[in-house]
Amino acid sequence: MAIHPTVHGTDGTDGTDGTGGAPDEPTEPQGPEGGGERSGRDPADRLLLAAVRHSAGRTTAICLLNTASAAATIALPAVLGHTLDLLLGRDGGGGAGPWLALCAALVAAEVLLDAVAALLTGTTVARSTAWLRRRGLDHLLAVGPRRAARFAPGDLVTRLTGNAAEAGGAPAAVAGALTSLLTPLGALIALAVTDLWLAAVFCAGVPLLVLLLRAFARGSSDSVSRYQRVQGEIAGHLVEALAGARTVAAAGTVDRERARVLARLPELSAQGRRTWRVYGRAVVGSGVLVPLLTLAVLAVGGMRLAAGQLSVGELLAAFRYASLAAGIGGVTSQVSALVRSRAAARRTAELLTVPRTGHGRRSLPPDGTGRLELRGVTAVRGGRTVLTDVDLTVPGGTTVAVVGRSGSGKSTLAAIAGRLADPEEGRVLLDGVPLDGLDPAKLRREVGYAFERPALFGSSVGEAVAFGAYEPEPEAVEAAARAAGADAFVRRLPAGYATALADAPLSGGELQRLGLARAFAHAGRLLVLDDATSSLDSVTELQVGRALTDQVRAGTRLIVAHRVSSAARADLVVWLEGGRVRAVGPHTALWELPDYRAVFAAEETRAADAGTAGEGAR
Amino acid sequence: MSRRARGPARRLLPRALRFLRNRGRVLLLLGGWSLLESAQTFLIGYGVAQALDRGFLAGRVGTGLLWLVVAAAATALGGLATRGVFRGLADLVEPLRDGLLRRVVARALREAVADPARADASAVSRLTHQTELARDSFAGLVLVLRSFVFTAAGALAGLASLALPLLLVVLPPLVLGLVLFTATLVPMAARQREFLGADEALSTRYGAVAAGLRDVVACGAERRVAAGADELVDAEVRAARALARWAAARTLALGVAGHLPVVLLLVATPWLLDGGVTAGALLGALTYLTQSLLPALHTLMNALGAAGTRLLVVLDRLVGDGPDGDLEDASADVRGGGAGTVPLPAPAARSTAGSRVELRSVTFAYGPAAQPVLHGVDLVVEPGEHLVVVGPSGIGKSTLAALIAGLLTPCEGLVLVDGEPATASGPAGGEPARRRVLIPQQAYVFTGTLRENLHYLCPGGPEEVPEEAVAASVAAVGLGPLVERLGGLDATVDPAVLSQGERQLIALGRAHLSPAPLVLLDEATCHLDPAAEARAERAFADRPGTLVVIAHRIDSVHRADRVLVMDGAHATVGRHRDLLDRSPLYRDLVGHWAGHRAGHRTGDRVGGRVGRRPGGGPGRDATLSAPGPRGDRGTR
Repeated sequence: MAIHPTVHGTDGTDGTDGTGGAPDEPTEPQGPEGGGERSGRDPADRLLLAAVRHSAGRTTAICLLNTASAAATIALPAVLGHTLDLLLGRDGGGGAGPWLALCAALVAAEVLLDAVAALLTGTTVARSTAWLRRRGLDHLLAVGPRRAARFAPGDLVTRLTGNAAEAGGAPAAVAGALTSLLTPLGALIALAVTDLWLAAVFCAGVPLLVLLLRAFARGSSDSVSRYQRVQGEIAGHLVEALAGARTVAAAGTVDRERARVLARLPELSAQGRRTWRVYGRAVVGSGVLVPLLTLAVLAVGGMRLAAGQLSVGELLAAFRYASLAAGIGGVTSQVSALVRSRAAARRTAELLTVPRTGHGRRSLPPDGTGRLELRGVTAVRGGRTVLTDVDLTVPGGTTVAVVGRSGSGKSTLAAIAGRLADPEEGRVLLDGVPLDGLDPAKLRREVGYAFERPALFGSSVGEAVAFGAYEPEPEAVEAAARAAGADAFVRRLPAGYATALADAPLSGGELQRLGLARAFAHAGRLLVLDDATSSLDSVTELQVGRALTDQVRAGTRLIVAHRVSSAARADLVVWLEGGRVRAVGPHTALWELPDYRAVFAAEETRAADAGTAGEGAR
Repeated sequence: MSRRARGPARRLLPRALRFLRNRGRVLLLLGGWSLLESAQTFLIGYGVAQALDRGFLAGRVGTGLLWLVVAAAATALGGLATRGVFRGLADLVEPLRDGLLRRVVARALREAVADPARADASAVSRLTHQTELARDSFAGLVLVLRSFVFTAAGALAGLASLALPLLLVVLPPLVLGLVLFTATLVPMAARQREFLGADEALSTRYGAVAAGLRDVVACGAERRVAAGADELVDAEVRAARALARWAAARTLALGVAGHLPVVLLLVATPWLLDGGVTAGALLGALTYLTQSLLPALHTLMNALGAAGTRLLVVLDRLVGDGPDGDLEDASADVRGGGAGTVPLPAPAARSTAGSRVELRSVTFAYGPAAQPVLHGVDLVVEPGEHLVVVGPSGIGKSTLAALIAGLLTPCEGLVLVDGEPATASGPAGGEPARRRVLIPQQAYVFTGTLRENLHYLCPGGPEEVPEEAVAASVAAVGLGPLVERLGGLDATVDPAVLSQGERQLIALGRAHLSPAPLVLLDEATCHLDPAAEARAERAFADRPGTLVVIAHRIDSVHRADRVLVMDGAHATVGRHRDLLDRSPLYRDLVGHWAGHRAGHRTGDRVGGRVGRRPGGGPGRDATLSAPGPRGDRGTR
C-alpha cells in the first residue's frame, strides 16, 4: 500500500529547474563517459545503463533471486493444494510426507531468497547512489563555476542528493520491475493450468477492474497540487517575515507576523482533508475490487468443485493464484519507481553532460614575473557580448585597477584573467603560456582570487584561510590575516583561529577580510581581487591596500575596484566601457578626463548599494 | 546505540500521548470503522469455509454461492469502513500537521527576531519538507498499525470460530515472528537515524560546495573537496549497508510470522482432521493466513521500519528541543524579541516635540568574553533634535541604534528614553511602536495591500489613522509615484517585484506615518539615490519628534543638527563645522565619501574630547572600542 498521498514537488524533483541552458552555452551533447559513447540514446538512459553496468553482477543476482523467489511463490499453491488433497484423501494422508517437506522447503526458500534479495537490494542502491554522487561531484568540480552557473546551488544539491539517490535505485528497480511481472503472470498461467474456466473468469474481470480503479483514482493530482499551492504561499509569507526579521524585532510584532503567516492554515487543512478523501477513495477501490474478483473465481471454482471437476486442493490453489495474479497492480508501482528513477537520472545526467573544462600539461617558466596578456578576448554572457576584442598587457609585478560602470565587463575580465571562465574568442597568457594549456595544479598555485562575497571552507577559521591548493604554515596564515585586517577580529573570537566557522557569525566585511586573507596566504604570481574590499570601510580598505603592496608576496595584482582611492593606488588603470578597453593609463592622467571622473560619480551610489545589498556571489 | 534510538522516543512520548488523549473521539471513531474492517476479514474467511462445507462440498451449489455473496457483501462493507477510516485519519493527521506548522513558524520567527543577522531560510525547508514528511509518515503508521491490529483480530476471531485448535497451530509462530520483528525495531531505528544523519551531512557539504564552487576552483582545492565529500559518501554507504542487513533480518521475521503458520497448518492437518476440523474450515484458515494476515504483516513490517523511524527523527527535530508542550500547541512559546521583563515605573509625560534620549556610561559587548563595542558612552539627544551618526562600517553604529530602541540591554550604564529605561516591550505591555520606531537597512514589505504595509507601525490599527495622514506621509517621503504605479493604496503589493529602494521607500513611509515621538533610521535609505535620500531625510526632519539617523552617505551630515562620529577608540559629537575642525577622522570620512581627493592618508588614531552640545549632559570622555567581532552586524 502506498502511504504517500502527496507528491513532494518542493524538493525540485519535478524535472523543471526553470533556468535551462544559457543560450550561449555550447549545446553539443557529450556522453556521461566524456563523449566516449556515441549512441543516439537519451542521456538519462545512458546514465541508467551505466549505473546498471556498474552494478551488473549485483543486478543480475537480484534478478535471479527474485526470479527464484517468484518461482517458489508460484509453485507453492499447487504443491499446497496437492498436499491438502493428499491429507484430505481417504487414506488419511498417506504419502503426503514428501509433499509436506516440499511445501516447507518452498516456504523456507521463498523467505530466505527474499531476505537475501532485500539485503542485496539495499546495498546495491547504496552502491550505485554513491557511484553517481562521486561522479556527479567530480564532474561538477571539473565543469567549473562558469558553466555550472546555469544551475542554482540548491538545484545542484538536489541533483547530487535526492536525484542521485533515486537514480541510484534504478538497477534494483529494473530487477524489481522485471521480476514483479513474473509472479502475477506466472500465477495467471498456473491458474489456467489448474482450470481454464477460472482463468477465463479472471481475465474477464480484469478490464472492469482497471476501469473502476481509474475512476477511483481521478482527481488525486488536482487535490495534491492545490494543497501544495497553499503550502507554498504559507512558506512564501514566512520567507518574507524572516527577511524582515530586524523590522519585526524592532516593532515587536512577532505575534502579528505569526498570525499573518498562518492565516491560510485553515485552508491548508481543508485541502489536506480533501487529499485524504481522494486518496481514501482510491484505496477503497482496490480494497474492494480485488477481493471481489478473487471471490468470483472462487464462486466458479466452487461450482466446478461441486461438479467434481476440481479438488479442494485445486480450488485452494486457484483461489491463491487469482489473488497473486490480481497483484499485477503492484507492477505499476515498480514501473513508476523506474519512471521516477529515470526522471531523476535525467536531472543528474543534465549535470554530467555539461562539458568539463579542459586543461593542458604545461608549466610556467620558473623566472616569470606574472606578465598577463589578453589577446582579442571576447566574452558572451546570457547572449550578450560583455567583452569585445579586449587586448591588454599587464607587465609582471604591477598593480592594475580595472574600473568602469556596472555592466562594463569588469568581473568577466577578472574571471577570464585567472581562468575561472574561458573567453568565447581570444587567448589569455600568463608569462607567455596560454592559461588553457597549463597544468591545473600549477595554474592554481600561481593564480589566486579574492571575491566580494567569498565562500569559506574548512572546519575552523584558521582552516578557512589555509584552504587552497596547498596548506600554508600557521604563521603564514596569521600573517596573511594580519595583512587582510582580519587578525584582530579573529583573535576576539571565542577560540581565535580554532573557532569553528559555524560558531563565528561573520559580517560582510569580516567575510571579505577572511577571503582576502585566504588569497594572501596562497599568493602566487597573479592575484585577482574582484570587488574584494567593497564592504570594508575606507580606513580598513586603505590599510589592506597598503599591506597588499608591502606584506603580500610580490606579483601582479588585478583589482576590480569601485573606489577612487583603489584606482589612485594602482600603477595602472584599465578603464572598461561597454565591454571594450576605453583607456589604459595611470589614474592621475585619466583623472583629467570628465568621462573617467563620471565613472566614479556613478559608482559611488552603486558601490554603496552593492556593499550592503550583498549581490549574488555568482 | 539502542539508548540513542530510544532517546527521542522517550522525549516525544508524553506529548504524543497528550496529543492522542485530546483526540479521544477521533480515535474512537477510527476504532469503530476499523472494527467494521475486522468484521470484513472475519466474514470473508468464514464465508469461504461455509461455502465449501455447506455448499460446494455438500453438493449444494446455491448455498455455496450464497455464502460467497455474504463474503462479497462483507467486502463492500469493508470498503465503506475504509472510507470512514480515512475521514478519521484526516482528523488525526491534519491537526498534527497544523500543530507542527504552527510550531515551526513560531520557532522560526522567534529565532529570527532574537538574532536577525542569522535568520535564514532553512526554516522554510523545515516548514514544507519536514512537516510533510511527518504528516505522511504518521498517516502511514496509523493506517498500517491499525489495519494490522484489526485484521489480525478479525482473522484470529475467524480461526477461533471455525475451530479452536486452529488457533493453537497459528498463534505460536505468529507471536514468535512478531516478537522477532519487535526486536529488530530498536536497532533498525538506530541505523535509520544514522543513515538520515549521514545523508543530511552529505547534503550540507554538497550545498556548501555548490554555493562556493567558484571559490573551490579559484583555490585549486577540487581534490581536497572531493576527498572530503567522499568520506561522507562512504559513511552513508556504510549506514545503508547496516540498514540493509536489518531489512533482511526483518524479512526473516516476516517469514516466521506469516509463512510458518501455513506450513504448520499443513503439518497439523491430520491431527486437526481427527479433531473434527472440516475441509472448509482448513480452506477458511488458509484464506485468513494468506489473504488477510500475510499482506497486513507485510505492510506492517515495511512501514514500521522506515516510516516509524522517519517520523520519530523528524518529529524530534521539529519539536524535540522546543519548549515542552503539546504537539499541536505552540501558542505558549512565543515572545517578542528583546530584553527581559524588568519592573518599570509608570510612563512619564511625553514631550510632544519628541523624546529625550540619554545614554549614561553605556558599555555594551556581545558576550561576556567579547571586547565591548561601546565603552562608557554618554550622549544626550534633546527632544526634536536631528542627530546623524557616522563612522566606519562595523564600528557599532547599529548597536547604538539597537540600544536606544531597547532591543539590546547595556552591560553597564543606562539608556533612558524620556527618563525611562529603553525596553523592547513597553512598560504598559503595549506595542513598542507607540514610543519609537526603528527602521533597519533591510526594509520589510509583506504581501498585502500597500495600506496594510503603511499601517504596520500604527499600534491602533487603521481606524486610528486619518486618510489625510496617510496621504501626507506618502507625499512627504516621495512614495507617490510608486503608489500610483502599483495601482493605489489598496492594491496588493508583491515584495518580490519591488526593488530594494522601493521597499525602503515603503518602510520610510510607514515610519513617517507612525505616531512614535522617536524615529531611528539605521541606514534605512541606503538603496535610494542621493536625491531621494535627501528628500526622505528632510521629510523626517520636518516631522515632529526626535530623529536619529545612522548615515549611509556622508551627505546626511549636512541635514543634521548635530553629528556623532564613532571610531575604534572614541566618539565625538558636535556640529558639522566644529567637527571638521576638531576630528581628523571626520574630515577623512567626509573627504573619502565625497570622493574629492583620492588616496590621502587616514586611519591614525583620533583622540579628541567628546564634543557636547552646549548645555548638554555632564561632560566626560566617551570611549568606543574597536569594532567587535560582531560589530558590523548591528543588532542581534
